[in-house]
Amino acid sequence: MNMDKRSIAREVIRLRVQQMVVNEWYKAGRFKIPIHLGFGHEALAVAVSAVMGRGDWLFLTHRNIAYNLGREKSLKPFLDEYSLKPTGVAGGRFGSMNLIHPSRGILYTSSILANQFPVAVGSAFGFTVSDANGIAIVCGGDGAIEEGAFYESVLMAASIKAPILFLIENNEWSMHTSIRERRVDIDLKKLASSLGVLYVSLKGNNVFAYIQALARARKQILTSRAPLCIEVKVNTLGDWYDMKNPLYPQGKFVKYHTGASPSVMLSEEVVLQKNADDPLFVLGKLISEASVKKMAVQELAHIRKEMI
Amino acid sequence: MTYLSFLNCILRKEIATHTNLVVFGQNISAGSYLGGLTAGLSVPPESRIINTINAENSLVGFGFGLALSGTNAIFFMRQIDFLLLTTDQLVNTYNIIRNNPAGLPGSFTIMTTVIDQGYEGPQSSSNNLGDFCSLARIDAFTVTNKRDIEAIIPAQLVSPGFRIIAASPRLYKTDLLEPPLAYRSPTGNLFQYQEGNDTTIICFNLSFPYGYALAQAMQTKGLHPSLFSVNIPVPIKWNVILESVKKTKKLVIFDDSKSMNCSYYALLAEARLRFNLQKEIIITRHLGSDWLTPNSDQLEIDYQKVIKDIV
Repeated sequence: MNMDKRSIAREVIRLRVQQMVVNEWYKAGRFKIPIHLGFGHEALAVAVSAVMGRGDWLFLTHRNIAYNLGREKSLKPFLDEYSLKPTGVAGGRFGSMNLIHPSRGILYTSSILANQFPVAVGSAFGFTVSDANGIAIVCGGDGAIEEGAFYESVLMAASIKAPILFLIENNEWSMHTSIRERRVDIDLKKLASSLGVLYVSLKGNNVFAYIQALARARKQILTSRAPLCIEVKVNTLGDWYDMKNPLYPQGKFVKYHTGASPSVMLSEEVVLQKNADDPLFVLGKLISEASVKKMAVQELAHIRKEMI
Repeated sequence: MTYLSFLNCILRKEIATHTNLVVFGQNISAGSYLGGLTAGLSVPPESRIINTINAENSLVGFGFGLALSGTNAIFFMRQIDFLLLTTDQLVNTYNIIRNNPAGLPGSFTIMTTVIDQGYEGPQSSSNNLGDFCSLARIDAFTVTNKRDIEAIIPAQLVSPGFRIIAASPRLYKTDLLEPPLAYRSPTGNLFQYQEGNDTTIICFNLSFPYGYALAQAMQTKGLHPSLFSVNIPVPIKWNVILESVKKTKKLVIFDDSKSMNCSYYALLAEARLRFNLQKEIIITRHLGSDWLTPNSDQLEIDYQKVIKDIV
């Protein structure tokens, strides 16, 4: 990790603006494949990329766009990939939900909930066998931790002492069903603790604090050669209300899951929500709203230049 | 020497030579050592043997993850019934991995058995290796005798990519068969043990010992069959077998599986289409309403009657 605060802030903004461009292309019907946008995930994605060591590996989910953009600066290879062109970042062979980028450390991505956890444990144990100095970081959501493969993977990682970070993005939603609609609460801290795995909770979308916490976690994993679990509170932004009708006089609330978000417009106003759920709003409080806007304008100009 | 002791010997020899290898599975270095299959395994200091937790699906993912990292992996799974728990990893993970032109840098092998002795009850009705392989066009090999064990284990057990190798517990205590080898396909998916003009015998799944017994019985009567064993269920190139059928016009097929979707259907269809067959005999299970209840998996074959039918 060798980034100053300004570079880090610029990364968060870049991920937001680049996703806004993808969203516009999506609205225009330029993609045949499903893409799960990650508005609201930018701070965590930037933090993960910032702390990854040279040999570390990242294992992702179907909602991988922010992490993938975080590991590759240019947007065009992603637009090409989503358009299934050979010039895409993965040669147009993977699309979005399984997008990998091994040369940037993204070894494996799964669209099947929890499928990625055991694969990541295996690769993490590869570090142990080869006595290499790296860790595996595996992302999953609050839906994925309901799957048996999550429990099996944490148990396996703890049992064989695999150097792995389980990074659980808790956005409370599994497609269009909230946690309280589908299950009882899972106390991940207790679950991890019962298996002897350290647990850390993060929230607030402060990218600088996230970087510090993740760097500490990485160091802990490398020292102990054992797994660690971080649960991060995120809100996937981009919700909207359907047209008003007699049944829903205010319009029916639609939680963003996949596809284009009609509520997000490409503009220099990159803040989508004026609270801590939006990493860009938090960034504005940390470095000034004017700086965020200025950098957003610069990023937009950069993308336009790249596209020409 | 028994089939089991020879197979175990080859496995021990092969595994002992590999560094950067993780051998894992449930009870593989404890208890009965999977009925003796994994007895006495040892690895160099740089490799590992792990008695794992009971989590088949995750263990298959674990193996893929190791191979992705460049570490070689062998998962000893007691029997293929447990593969039913692993279809997500077998299909989805394997498809994602092999879609990458760079391929799988390490080796991942699932070494398992097809429960073929019977008497295990309804849960063990899945005994056709090809059924699992057809889910995702997985390379898989059955081993039934000295020749295919010697050819397949050293070449496939630790080799970049993924495959399943299945042994036969029914043969564990039997004398090792050592048939003379007439032909082996370069990929190890097809073995020919005899060349003759009187009939073509083809064995599927783990039925080779039945076909070998028929071939020997025919020879005592002065008849000379061609004898094949198909060691990989999908996909299969039948050319060598069809050349034989073209000469003999007579076909005997053995398949000891209980599947409704057998690999030999495709061969039979093609043989019927291309040749005017004089005789076709299919020896397989005839399962009635008792197919879920515990009963013997041993095929009861009257070889003299089969020979009479052929002639």
